[in-house]
Amino acid sequence: MSSTRAAPAPPSRRPAPERGRRRADDRRLTWRNRLYRFDMRYMPYLMIAPFFLLFLVFGLFPLLFNAVVSLRNYRLDDPTLPYWAGFENFSRLVADEDFWNALYNTFGIFLLSTVPQLLLALLVASLLNRRLRAQTWWRVGVLLPYVTPIVASTMVFSVFFSRDFGMANWVLGLLGIGGADDPIDWRADKMHAWIAIATMVNWKWIGYNALLYLAAMQSIPRDVYEAAAIDGAGQWKQLWRITVPMIQPVVVFTVILSTIGGLQLFTEPMLFDPNAQAATGGPNGEWQTIAQLIYKVGWKDLNLGYAAAMSWALFLIILVVAGVNYLLTNRLSGGRK
Amino acid sequence: MKRSWTHWARTAAVGAVSLAMVAACSGRSTTDDADAAGGQVTLKINFWGDFGLQDLKTKYEAEHPNVKIQLNSGEYNAQHEDLQKKLVAGNGAPDIAAIDEGFMVQFRSQSDKFVNLLDKGAGSYESKYLPWKWKQSLSADGKTQIGLGTDVGGLAMCYRTDLFKAAGLPTERDQVSALWPTWDKFLEVGQQYTGKTKKKFLDAGTNLFNPILGQQQVGFYNDQEQLQMEQGPKVAFDYTVKAVQSGLSANLVSFQADWDKGFTSGAFAVLACPAWMLGHIKDTAPGTQGKWDIAAVPGGGGNWGGSFLTIPKQGKNVDEAYKLLEWLVAPEQQIEIFKKVGNLPSQPALYADPAIADFKNPFFNNAPVGQIFPKMAQGLTPQYLGKKNGPTRVAVENVIRRVENKSLKPDAAWNEAVKEADKAAKS
Repeated sequence: MSSTRAAPAPPSRRPAPERGRRRADDRRLTWRNRLYRFDMRYMPYLMIAPFFLLFLVFGLFPLLFNAVVSLRNYRLDDPTLPYWAGFENFSRLVADEDFWNALYNTFGIFLLSTVPQLLLALLVASLLNRRLRAQTWWRVGVLLPYVTPIVASTMVFSVFFSRDFGMANWVLGLLGIGGADDPIDWRADKMHAWIAIATMVNWKWIGYNALLYLAAMQSIPRDVYEAAAIDGAGQWKQLWRITVPMIQPVVVFTVILSTIGGLQLFTEPMLFDPNAQAATGGPNGEWQTIAQLIYKVGWKDLNLGYAAAMSWALFLIILVVAGVNYLLTNRLSGGRK
Repeated sequence: MKRSWTHWARTAAVGAVSLAMVAACSGRSTTDDADAAGGQVTLKINFWGDFGLQDLKTKYEAEHPNVKIQLNSGEYNAQHEDLQKKLVAGNGAPDIAAIDEGFMVQFRSQSDKFVNLLDKGAGSYESKYLPWKWKQSLSADGKTQIGLGTDVGGLAMCYRTDLFKAAGLPTERDQVSALWPTWDKFLEVGQQYTGKTKKKFLDAGTNLFNPILGQQQVGFYNDQEQLQMEQGPKVAFDYTVKAVQSGLSANLVSFQADWDKGFTSGAFAVLACPAWMLGHIKDTAPGTQGKWDIAAVPGGGGNWGGSFLTIPKQGKNVDEAYKLLEWLVAPEQQIEIFKKVGNLPSQPALYADPAIADFKNPFFNNAPVGQIFPKMAQGLTPQYLGKKNGPTRVAVENVIRRVENKSLKPDAAWNEAVKEADKAAKS
């Protein structure tokens, strides 16, 4: 490696001074040389070091410390418990119906948000990929929800899905569903709450994913479509047989990204609750996600050890699901690798 | 040569920025120490809702130029949880922390983390306070007093005279009190109201549950910290479910946006009113001035809420904090707060003070609040509130909300409440 790096160096520095006496000129050159070599060899590492240092301090260390805490009794309101708990926290987890309920909710909302989100993003992207008037305007437009602060948009949606004064019920009332006499209580059962939360997630991320897809679509040569059109393939077929396989790496990327994001869902379900502070995700945990449950166990019940165990369980679940999704998407979109 | 210069400059700049970012995340600001050196102290007070402190802060700062007061109002549960975290961490607690009676047992069992006010000479206050209020914040062995009481809840029933009139009910407060000597009668009146107007009578099931529970001999826990669901909670729960079943409740969630809107839109006609609720009604629905009045609560007395001011030991300016605390519980300030936000002082001698005894609240149709609430507070044997009282209450309230939103059948509700309370007790 070093020889290839050294090759383009100016030839003047090659002949090292053989006599003990060096000329001033020579020395300056070697100094520059060293700087140059340092610059080429180590500078990249130095430049990316801040990220890794920060990751060590704020990423890896908490992760490992979390693993230690998950094996401990760590109750803020009861410091008298024995120090080590062994696997007690994990065995409690298996029998905890709150945990399974939260897992169920998380997957429910995850499916309701990720699948339509990515499909719609694909459609939006393929629309944006055509010739349009005011193309840039549309492209910037779809990104606007992503720019909106998540707390702000969630607060608005929370009012939107309110039982008595919500716009969602007003609109549905116009269509003859529910109405003022029998309004839908969006927070009363799982299905309605999940739909409301998934709507918020979809609204925020469709544009973002669409732009990722669009960027990838731009690199597909036009003549492929022309050839397909001559062979008689319609728009729909072109989308599924040409576009999707050809942007497959980006599809995999978005699937994994939304898997991670979806399984860590926190802000939307948190703020959807009229009594957000309680973190119960509805009176019966109708939409309590795992991230929310972890927050509640750790900072409301003050049981940090148990919360740490839950965090690790979530970490493992995300790894498994992301892996499965990767394999699935890879296969669905043609298995190119 | 020039090129490498800019290169290095750029590198140095990037390095400096990332260093600065790391530095910004760590370390404490040094202003505290600077203040202390100049004889300046900043005292932080954590509380929730409206303690009526805004004007008092200005007054105290004017009288004590070396003191700055920082008021920090937060959500009720959040403030208590935050205090618990800071006590364990040993750092970050405010100089003065307000604690509600619902959380007092939890904190007084950690009395070593608070300044013992008896060491500061607070023993002389004992005779001034309602005896039960004094004992609530006293540690089990009686040697450590961690807080001085500010207000007590008391209990009454606020009602809308205009809505009562429209329903053909009496509006004069004594006649209204006579309508409901018991909770059974109260529900009957509610059915009458709802039947006639097709409107909801109550704001929320939980706000029926809490006052009734507050009247019972035994609440969620007995003094051995054992859950007692079959005692007080069962009584309160049965009334609540009955009210919800007969459609009296507007099914709102208290202290949330829709509930606040309900005050202005007339979504309900009555509301259980501890003294501290008056300030909230006034702040939330200033437009309803004169439409409210205050009647007696069914079933006689009862208490709901009431707070204490404590000084966590970890503070740097404990002495200054105690001076401020003494000033805040002094009669003039307590009376000032009562007039401002309605919080009833916990020192009975003040009830005879004309400033309180003759005080009529113009917002509530000139109701003689200075007579109504003290009477409740004086004839009271408060129930024991266990360490887990807070979370248990939240759990049972959630079950009530499920009955209200019809996701839980009323017949199955009680068993569910017992189960959830059990879970909260063990959490």
